[in-house]
Amino acid sequence: MARSAARHRVVAALAAAICLTTGLTACSSGTGGGGTATADASGPLKVWARAAGDSPKAFQAIFDAFTKKTGIKIETFFTLTDFEAKLSAAATAHDLPDVVFNDAAQLGNFKTQGIIRPVDKSKVAGADQLTPASWESAKDVQGNVYAVPFSAQANLLFVRSDWLTKLNLAPPKTWDDVAAVAKAFTTQDPDGNGKNDTYGLAVPGSTTRGYISWYWSTFFWQAGGEYFNGSNGKFSATVNTPEALKATQWFKSLFCDQKVVQPSSLNDTTTETNKAFQTGVTGMYYTGPYAFATMDATPIKGKYTVLAPPAGPANAKTLAEGTNIYLMAGNRPNAARQFAEFAITPEAQKLGMTAVPSATIVRLPVNSTVDAAASHNSDPRWTLAQQVYKDQGHYEPVSMPNWAQLRQTTSDALNGLIAKCGDPQAALTSLNDKLGSLLKQQGVAAG
Amino acid sequence: MAALRTSSAPVTLPAKRDRSGPHPGTVRAHRYRWVIPWLFLAPALAFFAVFKFWPSIWGVYLSLFHVQPYLGDEWVGFANFSKAFSDPDLRAAVGHTVLDAAVAVAGSMFVGFLLALLLEAPARHVRILRTAVFLPAVTAMVAVAELWHALLFPGRYGAVNSLLGDFGVGPLPFLSSPNSSLATIMLVQIWKHAPYDMVIFIAGLVGIDRQLYESASIDGANAWQRLRAVTLPSLRPVTTIVLILGLIRGLRVFTEIYVLTNGGPGGSTESIVTTVYKTTVTNNDAGYASAISSLLLVATIILTSATLWWRHRRENA
Repeated sequence: MARSAARHRVVAALAAAICLTTGLTACSSGTGGGGTATADASGPLKVWARAAGDSPKAFQAIFDAFTKKTGIKIETFFTLTDFEAKLSAAATAHDLPDVVFNDAAQLGNFKTQGIIRPVDKSKVAGADQLTPASWESAKDVQGNVYAVPFSAQANLLFVRSDWLTKLNLAPPKTWDDVAAVAKAFTTQDPDGNGKNDTYGLAVPGSTTRGYISWYWSTFFWQAGGEYFNGSNGKFSATVNTPEALKATQWFKSLFCDQKVVQPSSLNDTTTETNKAFQTGVTGMYYTGPYAFATMDATPIKGKYTVLAPPAGPANAKTLAEGTNIYLMAGNRPNAARQFAEFAITPEAQKLGMTAVPSATIVRLPVNSTVDAAASHNSDPRWTLAQQVYKDQGHYEPVSMPNWAQLRQTTSDALNGLIAKCGDPQAALTSLNDKLGSLLKQQGVAAG
Repeated sequence: MAALRTSSAPVTLPAKRDRSGPHPGTVRAHRYRWVIPWLFLAPALAFFAVFKFWPSIWGVYLSLFHVQPYLGDEWVGFANFSKAFSDPDLRAAVGHTVLDAAVAVAGSMFVGFLLALLLEAPARHVRILRTAVFLPAVTAMVAVAELWHALLFPGRYGAVNSLLGDFGVGPLPFLSSPNSSLATIMLVQIWKHAPYDMVIFIAGLVGIDRQLYESASIDGANAWQRLRAVTLPSLRPVTTIVLILGLIRGLRVFTEIYVLTNGGPGGSTESIVTTVYKTTVTNNDAGYASAISSLLLVATIILTSATLWWRHRRENA
């Protein structure tokens, strides 16, 4: 009996060892070998994009055109919600894709992780055709280029034109106009249903993905503020300036004093905020030209007008964003570069705009020779969008080593300030300190 | 069974075989029979090893590093842990989590017990009712949270507020005010988890000997006294299970908070796991996140063991 008990223990230990080794092999790194800086490894080009729904079809149209032109096959991977996690796993296994389509806001992050290669603009055919503003969103803090721009957009102001007509209001042209129109929309029952169920301005006030600071940035810059000041890789935070205070006080008053924002704002992401505009809960919304297709698919089609964002006290800057093509530290650098060169040609940019009408993966073309309106049935809203991007577009400081972390901290501060209707100066001072210590952590603090 | 009985003679079984010594031909089979259960368990064990045990051990290991997936991890020793102990945001998150766990678990146990008392009956209509009441427990939390987000719209004409307005209660801010956001999340959690506790309590109630109730009534106990003297003491082991499950569930609350408020407004509903998530995804600091998770694991083990030990002492007192 004692012998079989001992044998029990031996086999139990063996079973545990087998489980452990199974786990270890599951953990081991994947394949990665082959390829040098000059000669590509064999196999298809691996391209990943953060996309879901109809967008992958639009990407596939560009990929098919590229394969037809060059004969290089492409192996694709699309996901939306856990894209960064999957990319992290690939990085751990040293099995990165060759090309990644992702927001320009990820540039500093990718570079800090060491997973993207610098881009030599002179070796990219057609680089001179791209707008200078789009190249700015592809640079790091030192000014070195680390991506090839693919798409761009800037926020516009969407207003319910039927509500303006009903209340006899002119389209807003200044901050005061915006506040006045918002007040009228909230108190004067513009939808005529006898209930006080409408609000002036739709704001995604949640801290998810930094939405509230993403939205507030437009007003911050329009008051003359800037997030950081510095050069050559050394910066200090400047969000506690008088300009920042002016913007924050105005923004806070919309929520706390005038109460013209939808009441669920502090927990709303853009999904809920889009709905708030589309279902007639709010009458104004700052969002990008990608919203034309989605808004037109709802009952408010034809009932809203699109304006250039009204100017603030200092200027009329508006939030600009972009999608970049990142050339990853993979094994097929030459094919990857060829792909990037194709993606910025007029043919590919037009495909991105028109291949799938419900999924415009190229919002505004970064190629200056391509006209956005011409690809959208001469819709004048696209002409306006292109002009606003050119004249008023202003990017977030995406070249910071981890802009997402800085944006998250700003969002937490703004969300907290408005949740308690607190003191803007105190909130901005505390935020400035936090940003300063984050800059130090990220290694780009001045002094 | 009646067919097996013969007329009058008692049934005699054949004499028991003597199994003490070795028998030719059956030695090998007898010696290795104990392997069979392990073979049955092996697939499940392998699955758990790969997807649960190994990631947990690896996570604790990673907490000693500054994790950089591509550039290679840097050893930092206990720096992540000392950072965790001095982080004010994490302390606030722990406070919210503990409060939320305490109230949500107590609430769902209380409501679950009430529902169990009401719905513990063999009648068919009660079975249908029980299934209906149990539905929240089997719905996906993400879908439920999205629905509640829409229902709890804080304006005058939100779904729940319209209902309250008909009773003269003013529009409540629910999730959009830091004063009521955590309470609202606790209510949603109670709504979702009480049916689960109800089912466990029903199983416990069914196992109580009916004769105890009868003898209590004969002794003159009314319904309330029967509850206190018969039902509650008999349910002690079940209550322990429900409490432990609730504690573990409460400490790792994530989905409700992430979908409903993302930790806001103003950080009033931040929990331990939402902090871990943000640290990993936004701050790219998987080492620090692993340290927090390891501390959570240790806390959960301590609490569970303490609950079991306390119950053990009470049982044997």
